[in-house]
Amino acid sequence: MSHLQSIMVQKSDDDKMHQLSSNLIMAVSGEAGDTTQFAEYIAKNIQLYKMRNGYELTPSAAVHFTRHTLATHLRSREPYFVNLLMGGFDPDSNTSELYYMDYLAASVPVKYYAFGYGGMFTLAVMDKDYRPNMNVDEAYELLKKCANEIKRRFIINLPKFRVRVISKDGIKELPYVVAEGEAA
Amino acid sequence: MARRYDSKTTIFSPEGRLYQVEYAMEAIGHAGTCLGILANDGIVLAAERRNTNKLLDDVFLSDKIYKIDEDMACCVAGITSDANVLTNELRAIAQRHTLQFGEPIPCEQLVMRLCDIKQAYTQYGGKRPFGVSILYMGWDRRHGYQLYQSDPSGNYSGWKATCIGNSSAAAVSILKQEYKEGETDLHHALLLALKVLSKTLDMNKLNAEKLELATLIRKDNKTEIVVLGVEEVNKLIEEHDKKEAEAEAAKQEKASGSGSGKSSDK
Amino acid sequence: MPDFSEIFSLQSILNYNGGCVVAMRGKNCVAIACDLRFGVQAQTISTDFERVFEVGPHLYIGLPGLATDTQTVFQRLQFRIKMYEMREGRRVKPRTLMAMVQNLLYERRFGPYFVEPVIAGLHPTTKEPYICALDLIGCECEPEDFVVSGTCSESLYGMCETTWREDMEPDDLFECISQSLVNAFDRDALSGWGAVVHVIEQDKVTTRYLKCRQD
Repeated sequence: MSHLQSIMVQKSDDDKMHQLSSNLIMAVSGEAGDTTQFAEYIAKNIQLYKMRNGYELTPSAAVHFTRHTLATHLRSREPYFVNLLMGGFDPDSNTSELYYMDYLAASVPVKYYAFGYGGMFTLAVMDKDYRPNMNVDEAYELLKKCANEIKRRFIINLPKFRVRVISKDGIKELPYVVAEGEAA
Repeated sequence: MARRYDSKTTIFSPEGRLYQVEYAMEAIGHAGTCLGILANDGIVLAAERRNTNKLLDDVFLSDKIYKIDEDMACCVAGITSDANVLTNELRAIAQRHTLQFGEPIPCEQLVMRLCDIKQAYTQYGGKRPFGVSILYMGWDRRHGYQLYQSDPSGNYSGWKATCIGNSSAAAVSILKQEYKEGETDLHHALLLALKVLSKTLDMNKLNAEKLELATLIRKDNKTEIVVLGVEEVNKLIEEHDKKEAEAEAAKQEKASGSGSGKSSDK
Repeated sequence: MPDFSEIFSLQSILNYNGGCVVAMRGKNCVAIACDLRFGVQAQTISTDFERVFEVGPHLYIGLPGLATDTQTVFQRLQFRIKMYEMREGRRVKPRTLMAMVQNLLYERRFGPYFVEPVIAGLHPTTKEPYICALDLIGCECEPEDFVVSGTCSESLYGMCETTWREDMEPDDLFECISQSLVNAFDRDALSGWGAVVHVIEQDKVTTRYLKCRQD
């Protein structure tokens, strides 16, 4: 939830997630202006689709659309520098989906991923403890472990993490994940 | 009077009509008949084939029914050259959607997009509207089997069974009588299509050479679009003729039965 | 001092995500295989990223290189293939596909897609085996024996050179291409983590997933 500029923390309650539809969220990192600009462009277009057609895009179609947009911009004069994760729940097929997408617009389905320097520490934690059949509480515990690892090993202070769950009932906010010893 | 208002598509006449668009519809009234019927387990498109010269080189399987996407096909009535442009446009729209969203275009969206183009030609200066009506059959994840019709004005509508082209009004009224909602399977739909065509086309007897029949069904989670071969069509025509003959016989028996009282010793 | 960085470095954009593809000709059959790793430089992100795609009943294309362009090129190619097939009313032939790929790639001559495609297939009527490799701007190479492409192409050349024989039957071809690929990419940090092999015969296509070293 920290918004950093150079060595300064500018904001400690930043929301890096953007809701795209009733069961789809995009978390964005990258160049400061590009992230919001791109995320909003995608979000509004996905909402426009719903208005025009009366139904929402499936998560996979929305991801495809995002990738196509990002890839088209990549070869233009102003590429977006954004890395993103898209998490969605498809009520038709009853499946949860998570997609990795980097600024080059390579998109692959993943079980878990984390961008940035902090991500390097947490990936190892998740490699060790992730199981495909985890429930929400277990996943939340795993996120806590990741936060602790970042606090222990990473030179930059990232105290709080926003957590949202996407399920068949829509999107729900959970309490912040806070590393041990940090103020909530 | 009308002369002043029908030279351009963009001008309303004082009665509030767009003559060029109406003339385009008129042109379709003379075109070969196209018929579509929605069944429980699929869709049927049928078209009347007019240029049946044996010297004609048959390059394509069919000349009125076009595949436009993995799970959509259409049949056209009107000016063939206009239709070629539009079917190409339909295919491009479908593929652009797939490129952008990674899944096939929903049927209604495709029809809508094409109608936007058709509409533009009724409004922007100096252009002639497309002299084509189209019947679309398709399947999509959300709404299943669908049948649409679009006309030169850019209007479109969804149907259970409908007809465009020559003597389409008569055909629609027969369909209205004969179509049984929710009880029609693909085979019945095929026979119904033949029945309607046999009554509306100017021929004494149905001829496989002059007909095109196509079906769309879902099988193992894939859409199958099949243009029926001459043999299959002939088989269907045979079955249809037999049924008609039986119906005719039954009718006559009934008529004679009731006409001559209850005497059975004739 | 000559600059070797392009030759030896991981910096080349073609090697950014890793991955390799190989295709071989056999007797009345062809095989095409690829690894499954998707990474960003040294970091592995996913191990089920297929870079060989079916584009016809007896026709496959492999697109190793920058992953985003693997996806973009395949999607754009699919567009053109579908349009072709509907317009012509028949399936695309291997050489036709090659020409389409050339067109697609050369259109971006001065800002290329970073993929080096490999095509393998059988001619729909004559059943003649066909293999071909292209560079990133669409210059083709149609040899008689095998084609390789991707991050470990040097090792693949060595392996294929020693294992390939003329007129292999489908089973032998499968063994040959699998051993070549697996042993080549085991020496490469940027590809591996499983492989998929398609053996294309006149009447059928056999697809097998290989278990490999996962490190």
